[in-house]
Amino acid sequence: MKLTDHKKYLLEMCEKVDRDLTSPTCKKLREHLENCPDCAAHYDSLKKTIILYRNYDVDYKGSCCKEVLARLELEQPIKINLPSKGPTQKTTRAIQKRRR
Amino acid sequence: MEDDTKLIDAARAGDKQAFGRLVQRYEKTVYSFAFKICRDKGKAEEAMQETFINAYRGLKSFSGKSKFSTWLYRIITNNCLMMHRKKSHEPVVSLEDTDLFGESGELQVPHWGETPHDAVLNNELKDILDKAIQKLPLEYRIVFVMRDVEGLSTEEVGKSLKLSVPAIKSRLHRARLFLRNELNPYFTK
Repeated sequence: MKLTDHKKYLLEMCEKVDRDLTSPTCKKLREHLENCPDCAAHYDSLKKTIILYRNYDVDYKGSCCKEVLARLELEQPIKINLPSKGPTQKTTRAIQKRRR
Repeated sequence: MEDDTKLIDAARAGDKQAFGRLVQRYEKTVYSFAFKICRDKGKAEEAMQETFINAYRGLKSFSGKSKFSTWLYRIITNNCLMMHRKKSHEPVVSLEDTDLFGESGELQVPHWGETPHDAVLNNELKDILDKAIQKLPLEYRIVFVMRDVEGLSTEEVGKSLKLSVPAIKSRLHRARLFLRNELNPYFTK
């Protein structure tokens, strides 16, 4: 078999590594893997690569809920108790000026 | 258990406790995905908090057409990309297909030994997996994690990253091959 044919299968197996090789669209690849130990070894290693990363369990025992809610609380508009509405010094002066 | 839609509606109306319940429900998923992208506990925690804050602020833009988790994946991805661009000077790594053919022109593929199939990997192996995936450029890493590790469909990954299906397939193909080649020396000892 020509090297270019192997390369073609190497590309194809990389694309179909997560598929079921018994499907009709994978027939040629399946037959090639049955007869080419090197390509079969490559296919096996690709499959194992994915399985290893999938089995990598990430440990998380914490809780970020309190921190997130605390940060969201800070986003609430700040309420400031203003004195009841009455004329300000500026407006009082303007009224006195008009009266004069 | 209350369904997501009810909690999202309540949170949209300003009920922060309802949003808190969503945080509790998804924090492990978000942390786990962020860690798989960043490969660093501190960065993963930072990305997780930012993700929930951004999610709360952007709840009104969540249409409900995709799953809430898929929407969160998009936000985490953006956060990880932003953090990565700010803090790192990633060396350029070539993702050209490694030549599997020897000088003689013969195909040379060493056989891998047994790999652990159970869910518990030892720390040495975890370290090797971390180092290998950290060499993979982030754009490729994200596609690999979403598609092969988290099990999202190619279309979902494409929608989430706003990339075409062929672009996703191309990145995935290169990422798989790159990681396989990085791990190759360890398993052919």
